[in-house]
Amino acid sequence: MNEAIDNLRAMLLIRAFEDCLAARKDHGFQLLSSGEEAVSVGLASALNEHDQLLTGGRSIGPALARGVKPERLMAELLARTGGVNRGRAGRGHFSDIDAGFFGAHAVVAGNITIAAGVALGRKLENHPGIVAILFGDGASAAGALYETLNIAALWKLPLLFVCNNNQLSVSTAREASNAAENISDIGGVFGMWTKSVDGLDLPAVSETARTAADYVRAGNGPAFIEFSSIRLRSHSTTARETRKRDELAALRLKCPIEREIRRLQDAGLLGQAQTEALRDEATQRAETAMQFADASPYPDPSEVLEHVV
Amino acid sequence: MSSEPAQQETKPLRLFFREAVARAVREEMARDPKVLLMGQDVGSFGGSYREFDGVYGEFGPDRVRDTPVAEPASVGIAAGVAAAGFRPLTVITYMDFLMLGFDALINYAAKLRYKSAGKLTAPMVVKTTAGAQGQGVAHSQCIEAWLISVPGLAVVAPSTPADAYGLMKSALRHDGPVVYMDHKKLFPTPGNLDREEHVVPFGKAAIRQEGTDVTLTCHSYMVRVALQAAEALAEEGISVEVIDLRSLAPLDIDTLVASVEKTGKLLTLEEGQVTCGVGVEVATRIFEAVGYRPWKRLGALPAPVSSNPVLEAECIPDAEQVIESIRVLVRG
Repeated sequence: MNEAIDNLRAMLLIRAFEDCLAARKDHGFQLLSSGEEAVSVGLASALNEHDQLLTGGRSIGPALARGVKPERLMAELLARTGGVNRGRAGRGHFSDIDAGFFGAHAVVAGNITIAAGVALGRKLENHPGIVAILFGDGASAAGALYETLNIAALWKLPLLFVCNNNQLSVSTAREASNAAENISDIGGVFGMWTKSVDGLDLPAVSETARTAADYVRAGNGPAFIEFSSIRLRSHSTTARETRKRDELAALRLKCPIEREIRRLQDAGLLGQAQTEALRDEATQRAETAMQFADASPYPDPSEVLEHVV
Repeated sequence: MSSEPAQQETKPLRLFFREAVARAVREEMARDPKVLLMGQDVGSFGGSYREFDGVYGEFGPDRVRDTPVAEPASVGIAAGVAAAGFRPLTVITYMDFLMLGFDALINYAAKLRYKSAGKLTAPMVVKTTAGAQGQGVAHSQCIEAWLISVPGLAVVAPSTPADAYGLMKSALRHDGPVVYMDHKKLFPTPGNLDREEHVVPFGKAAIRQEGTDVTLTCHSYMVRVALQAAEALAEEGISVEVIDLRSLAPLDIDTLVASVEKTGKLLTLEEGQVTCGVGVEVATRIFEAVGYRPWKRLGALPAPVSSNPVLEAECIPDAEQVIESIRVLVRG
């Protein structure tokens, strides 16, 4: 019960945070994840404090779900020194390992090889944690994924491959970018535990992520899960929308957050007043994060040569 | 074996280049349990040039890992395990294939310290083998000049067994990514090595021969070509100062500047392309400090390096060309 409300709270925060960020004229170049909140939150619910998560460029939702502080993240995204990396990494490149977010590496599929290295370190240290790597359907066509699947299977690395299939690689439809029937089938070739589930169904995401994480944690080697989600915004805040208005309207009806609210309300686990209170709380947290970011200074230009070597 | 023990200890070791590499790797793996070795055929096979002979037997399959033919993943996994606290040495058989690993090396490892504001680093060494030896257009290239322009990346290029040893040890202790390039023709060359454990620091060039008429900068196998030319020129009365750069990034500007201030002339020599080459960088950095001086550059012709022996030899600089260039520089 409490976990369900916490998960809803986490999804509402991601939506409010991204909306608050996108409303800013100076938000820069951002990749938002509206429609994909259940994937981030469901996956994060299966990870513990020993684990590390790596992602591609669509990193805000997963980082918040993992527990990166909204204030520090907002400051990072807006280039302020109060950010998790002093504002110098930004959207596709930030990290906060203390929160279990090893980092974004916004070269599509390149991050997958890095994650396998972190997993190798875990294995060599007999570390209790596992590593999860979150990537999109776009990355499922890239060679780095296949090389890493092979080595991760050969070396039985504690690595959980998670494909957030939001159906689009910028403008290219998933059907046009990957010939496999299910993207998770790719993991099966290498003998992994695999599953494809509806990424808009939070309980299904959470349950699948937990089963897969437990499998990896038990020392069975890597697993590969695919969550089919939707992308309610364009690829990036500077990319033009390629879908028609009615298509987007139909997608909005599938919103994973509203779906979870309906489920909880139908089960009598959530009232209308509490729902509104949770929405207000999320907006408030996003605004607080924005106030923190605004109060934090930009770096001094002289910092440009710091931490190069 | 029959000599006195006391004498034996002071006598330097005589090792082949490949043996010096193996010695450094073994010592560092024994010294630091975080050092790992991975790459194609580095395990029981002992490396493509036997430069890891005995390492697998000593340290076992956890720390010495054969990888499949998968350069992007091999470099990426090295970068990731380095970021997670280890010190991997990953081996890319030919420098040409390092291009496949550029993403993790350049986009991730070289930028990790910067983008994390100093919180994370990727202390990794990519050892790779450059140079022409009859293997053709995609197995012969020297692309170190591409790499020295990458902020956050160190690039070293030993030419002797002693430096192969000392630079490898420094590389495995460096707190960031390093490309350690050797050369196919260097593996069977012997050299003397101090018996005592030591390192060769980054950013220190070596004056291989002192001279007064012209400064000749070079690295890797071209040091041998340079010394051959310098010897011939000495017979003509031309005194050549041969500087082995050893460390291409960072460069030892002080040594270079001091030499050109003394000689007043510069020939830069490399096996790679001269366009945007190491020599261009060396000359520019020197001239920024001392003003322009007469300068010539020698490197590969602007063509791929063929496996055809006639075309390969024509493409790559040799001692004769070095001699001719220096004659022109010195005598006008």
